Amino acid sequence: MNEVQVGLLVLTITLFVFLTGIDLAFAMIIMGFLGFGYLISFHAAMNLLAKDFYDVLNSYGFTVIPLFVLMGQISFNSGIAKRLFDAAHKFIGHIPGGLAMATVMGATVFKAICGSSAATSATFAFVAVPEMDRYGYDRRLSTGVVATVGTLGILLPPSVTLIIYGIITDLSIGRLFLAGIFPGLMIATFFVGVIYGWCKINPAVGPKSEKYSWGERIKTIPEVLIVVGIFSLVIGGILGGFFTPTEAGSVGTFLVLILSLARRDITIKGYIKSASESVRTACMVMMLIAGSTVLGHFIAVTKIPMITADWLISLTLPPSLIVILIALIYLIGGSFIDDLAFMILATPIFYPAIIKLGYDPLWFGILISITIMMGVVIPPMAICVFVVKQITKEQFSTIYAGVYPFLIALLLGGVMVFIFPQIAIWLPSVLMPG
Amino acid sequence: MGGYLVFVEKLSKLMNVIAGTALSFIMLLTVADVILRYFKMPIVGTFEMVGLGGAIAIGFGMPITSVFRNHIFVNDFVEKFPKTGQNIINIATRLATIAIFALISYNLFLFSSSLLRSGEVTLTRQIPFYPIAYGLCFCCFAQCLVMIGDIVKVFGGTYE
Repeated sequence: MNEVQVGLLVLTITLFVFLTGIDLAFAMIIMGFLGFGYLISFHAAMNLLAKDFYDVLNSYGFTVIPLFVLMGQISFNSGIAKRLFDAAHKFIGHIPGGLAMATVMGATVFKAICGSSAATSATFAFVAVPEMDRYGYDRRLSTGVVATVGTLGILLPPSVTLIIYGIITDLSIGRLFLAGIFPGLMIATFFVGVIYGWCKINPAVGPKSEKYSWGERIKTIPEVLIVVGIFSLVIGGILGGFFTPTEAGSVGTFLVLILSLARRDITIKGYIKSASESVRTACMVMMLIAGSTVLGHFIAVTKIPMITADWLISLTLPPSLIVILIALIYLIGGSFIDDLAFMILATPIFYPAIIKLGYDPLWFGILISITIMMGVVIPPMAICVFVVKQITKEQFSTIYAGVYPFLIALLLGGVMVFIFPQIAIWLPSVLMPG
Repeated sequence: MGGYLVFVEKLSKLMNVIAGTALSFIMLLTVADVILRYFKMPIVGTFEMVGLGGAIAIGFGMPITSVFRNHIFVNDFVEKFPKTGQNIINIATRLATIAIFALISYNLFLFSSSLLRSGEVTLTRQIPFYPIAYGLCFCCFAQCLVMIGDIVKVFGGTYE
């Protein structure tokens, strides 16, 4: 067998090994080791194992991940989300579907300091669903919206997904953060549009709640401003060249912590809990990166990325159709394993093709992120839906029935970014020309 | 059997405390550096200390992540098998994981020893690399202990 055949065989076996219940990161390490050992030598593969493992863990660049995860975890445990939801509730709760729209708006602001999809869905499942239950909202709408709003964090900075994409492709994390802002806000607006349309067709799904006075509304504004201020400092610091992403993660975490401690929203015990949970989440992500690094070295030896790129550009298909096919591969592949894991696995293979086809890598990152947003709410591996089910004890069929209308918004967002790449690449080209 | 599982869990929790402390340390160190930098008093070697701290945070968090099964895995297919089949697959995957982490641990030990012999240190603070490499070697060993714990649970009928 030649290198390419060995590569394809090992990748196929890897996908089957994923189904055995083994941790995906460990499967990547094992298969990368075996493949590299077979093609080069097992002595070299053993050296590669230790070196890759040490290099990934002992890397300043990668410390950005645990720091932004910690920032999100403190935000998750400190009740900031509830205040943001309350603020949005007071402004728009009185219109049909207003509480669901408030969930979207609260989550959009919350995403500015919390990069985890599952944590956002969990937070708003705790905060917003009981409130929507109180006003008689249809459970399809209430559970569907909280499951879907979590996905916004994949696009809106500080997105862990975009950080990982940036690390894999060696792109500026600051530019990727900027590229995600307009598509993320656009999709959030589409979510609000879906709620409006749904409630217009069937007003019973989202009844009006009480109306608040302007005085009560204005009182909630400082909360939103504080979160927006922290976000602006973190992102502005990266854009202005004042901070590295790691420093931005540290400063953001520190500010959220001080704010939460000062308001007694979190205790020292709560912080310890946040740090402990962050270590586990960050470790999960970092092990995936370590696994993909080992597997990636093997894939590089097989020359599959280059051959795939050459093969794809030699196809007589229009380049845009090739990109659609790649996006579909991400969507389908992510459905069978895990969307983030599949992105880590597939990006080194398809990225060279995208570059050779002449597409903007930032745009591709945003497009892939939108497919991941769809992946985390569609079966079988719908992590945000699993989280909402666990908290609300609602049936899967009900939650999925609520998620599907929002998938239309996600699909529309993807189509818009696909047709109009400027939605993603205009902001970084203006604020952070590369 | 029960004693072994308690030991593994306690060890993992202890290592998690170290990991959490390292994470908090790198956060505070970086913030201090950012602030002091504007007073023209940067903390020399922050870059390398944060890198080393990150290795401790992630490496020492590895066993507890496995104890709580926070790593991503796909169980739907295995769950279609009868209990015996599931047990066989679970034992096989844990044995494979033990084998790979034993290899990583052994090679990190060799790597650490070479770092110790060569006296390699960081550029500015002159911090030796070998203690971190030995630490990661220990973390991989602890990971093997957690996986052995999984096998113990399978045999004890308590693995979920």
